[in-house]
Amino acid sequence: MATNIEKLKQERDAAWRDEIRKSKKNKERTDIPRVHMPEAPAMERRHSYVEVNSGLITEQAVLEASRCLDCPDPTCISGCPVEINIPKFIKNIERGEFLESAKVLKETSTLPAVCGRVCPQEKQCEASCFYQLKLKKEPVAIGYLERFAADYEQQSGQISIPEVAQNNGVKVAVIGSGPAGLAFAGDMAKFGYKVHVFEALHQIGGVLKYGIPEFRLPNRIVDVEIESLQKMGVEFENNFIVGKTATIDDLREEGFKGFFVGSGAGLPRFMNIPGENLVGILSSNEYLTRVNLMGASQKGMDTPVVCGKNVAVIGGGNTAMDSVRTALRLGAEKAMIIYRRSLEEMPARVEEVKHAMEEGVEFLTLCNPVEYIGDSTGRVKQMRVQKMVLGEPDSSGRRSPVPLEGSEYLIDVDTVVVSVGVSPNPLISQSLPNLKVSRWGTLEVNPDTLQTSIPDLFAGGDIVRGGATVILAMGDGRKAAASMHDYLSNNQA
Amino acid sequence: MANLSTKYLGIQLKNPLVVGSCGLTGSVESIIKLANNGAGAVVLKSIFEEEIQLEFQETLKKELGYQDNNLEFFDYYDYQIKNDVLTKTAELIGRVKEATDIPVIASINCRSVGEWFSYAQKLQEAGADALELNIFKMPQQTTEAADAIDAVYLRIVEKVIAHVSIPVSVKLSPYFTNLGNIAHRLEGTGAKGLVFFNRFYNPDIDIDNIRVTSGAVYSNIGDYVLPLRWISLLSGKLKADLMASTGIHNPEGIIKMLLAGAAGVQVASVLYKNGPGYIRDMLYGLEKWMDKKCLNTIDDIHQLGKQAMPANPELFERVQFMRYFGEHNG
Repeated sequence: MATNIEKLKQERDAAWRDEIRKSKKNKERTDIPRVHMPEAPAMERRHSYVEVNSGLITEQAVLEASRCLDCPDPTCISGCPVEINIPKFIKNIERGEFLESAKVLKETSTLPAVCGRVCPQEKQCEASCFYQLKLKKEPVAIGYLERFAADYEQQSGQISIPEVAQNNGVKVAVIGSGPAGLAFAGDMAKFGYKVHVFEALHQIGGVLKYGIPEFRLPNRIVDVEIESLQKMGVEFENNFIVGKTATIDDLREEGFKGFFVGSGAGLPRFMNIPGENLVGILSSNEYLTRVNLMGASQKGMDTPVVCGKNVAVIGGGNTAMDSVRTALRLGAEKAMIIYRRSLEEMPARVEEVKHAMEEGVEFLTLCNPVEYIGDSTGRVKQMRVQKMVLGEPDSSGRRSPVPLEGSEYLIDVDTVVVSVGVSPNPLISQSLPNLKVSRWGTLEVNPDTLQTSIPDLFAGGDIVRGGATVILAMGDGRKAAASMHDYLSNNQA
Repeated sequence: MANLSTKYLGIQLKNPLVVGSCGLTGSVESIIKLANNGAGAVVLKSIFEEEIQLEFQETLKKELGYQDNNLEFFDYYDYQIKNDVLTKTAELIGRVKEATDIPVIASINCRSVGEWFSYAQKLQEAGADALELNIFKMPQQTTEAADAIDAVYLRIVEKVIAHVSIPVSVKLSPYFTNLGNIAHRLEGTGAKGLVFFNRFYNPDIDIDNIRVTSGAVYSNIGDYVLPLRWISLLSGKLKADLMASTGIHNPEGIIKMLLAGAAGVQVASVLYKNGPGYIRDMLYGLEKWMDKKCLNTIDDIHQLGKQAMPANPELFERVQFMRYFGEHNG
């Protein structure tokens, strides 16, 4: 997606933008310290599912927006995977046009309220902010402002429903209702297609619902986006496993002309070390899905989850942070992150690590489990961990963990959540022998069109990338929609 | 006609010629050829800890996405690679056991304790008759003392032995201050066999293009003298079975090792050079020699060796080319 420099320039030259720029000197703007996101108190929130970040109030948002210099060369945009017109939405906040700001976000992002909460802005747009690059100061809080504008729109009740072209009578199927699928569905609905989304679980939203806990992304935020899509005519069907309930061929027979696979990566990986099958050891997928989607944390549910007192979570990604913080909320007295590298190398967002620390999570870095030990009933009671040291940097630029011989020791645990990555679910690929799959189970696609080896099948998000941020998955959904629209238009002609 | 059957690690072999861990023992088709040509056993192509790490590095290099967005996906991907390798090796063991009647020795090449012991367990579950541990860590730090490295080796072996019931052998490097002592201590951990020696990758320098290249890949016919010396020196001093490896390129090589006290020999380079059919030639040569010497069993060769060689074989202890030693004929 190439940024249209001319268009950006034209928009920047608008009289209102010029006026806003002139309203303050740059020095005044750069002297304003970055806003702090208001948060629920750590010791209170660790026992509840209240959203940790409570969002900026209007005054804070406007002041933070005024830090943005509205640069002639907005480097922040190039840091955004979907190239949101960042200065334009921020300057709309500065002038108080919050609904207009939300509209700007929606030009390129289907789920701004979600992205404002879960995107790693510190690695994306904010990492490319002028403040960061040139002034060596804290960047403009683009993510907080994105959330502010999107939330404002949701709370205002004046949610703009995008215009939808006249129904062209062509049915397309979306497999999976995560960020990629929802973004694809939205764009295809705009093009005039009859869009039907098939979701394997009993709730729409994919990883946004089953994977990300309520305290980080409340379900109501996702539901608002889904309602918008429903208003655009998108149909949703839960409890429908494409590849099992019906195959792609079955759906073709039902008249579907195109398919988008956005089924994510929901197959947990384990380390395959001794004792991993003991009772009390489970994957983060299972742990989080049970709590987030099946109410397992509530009493009297049919599918409860183990509420350990000594909980160890293996891994250093966002999913590991979500799991360990969930463990605290389920009543763990001791919740630990066991990670084989150091804090610096963790893939998790800095903010999530900070929140976890504030809530009392213990970080046992440079430690790696090598064995689990069970009691006489087959329940895990201890884990043997090996200390690590950091070796030479690897291809990711991070220093590699090297086992420190003779350093093994035991830790008492009653619950272990393994969060060492996921693989794509093979259901779709197994039901389609001609579908090309990489060695790690992701679907192979043409990078320009996201078309798979089966011409009427497109794919995006985690099923293609293995792991992707919400915004990248959404970007894939939108790109695939454009490609499928081209493909179907040419095919029909 | 001589009876070539023998025992190694408590396992009955139809002859003492074992195909050592190499590319030829990496597929079921190739192993069937080796078995059909009379191999007494095979040591499967090693699962290399180092190789898994390299593949992990390569994967990260090629696949890490824009702004590291998929770092979480690949952060522990080495475990996935290990699991794939183990699954493939377990499948190979199963298929070889089904297709042949020769013992299968699985091989792990590792540098650290880590979770390798659990992989040993999996190879046992897959049906391996024994396990060969190929342990060597190039000491890169001048501050690292030899006893610390020895301790790591011993710990790896101890740990693996504690987790498997099949016999475990250790393929050694010749680079120890006191090889006999480490052999003795390894035996003390419960190792049932010791393999002399591992052949290492040797870098070389291309002086035309001024770059580091790979040294000679195959062993040479004269290389057998090093294992011969050590098997001669340690035979009778250890209970563990001694297996000769490196430089055994002809029937004479097998005979010398058996006379020195080896339970058997491992061959690889010579099969790359001459093909699997050469196993028959080597065994035929051994048989012919045994007939000529009126020896009926492998044990007869061992006994002959014991009688012919002094109890304290000072000739194998000599290391310096003193003048009279150079002129020595016998």
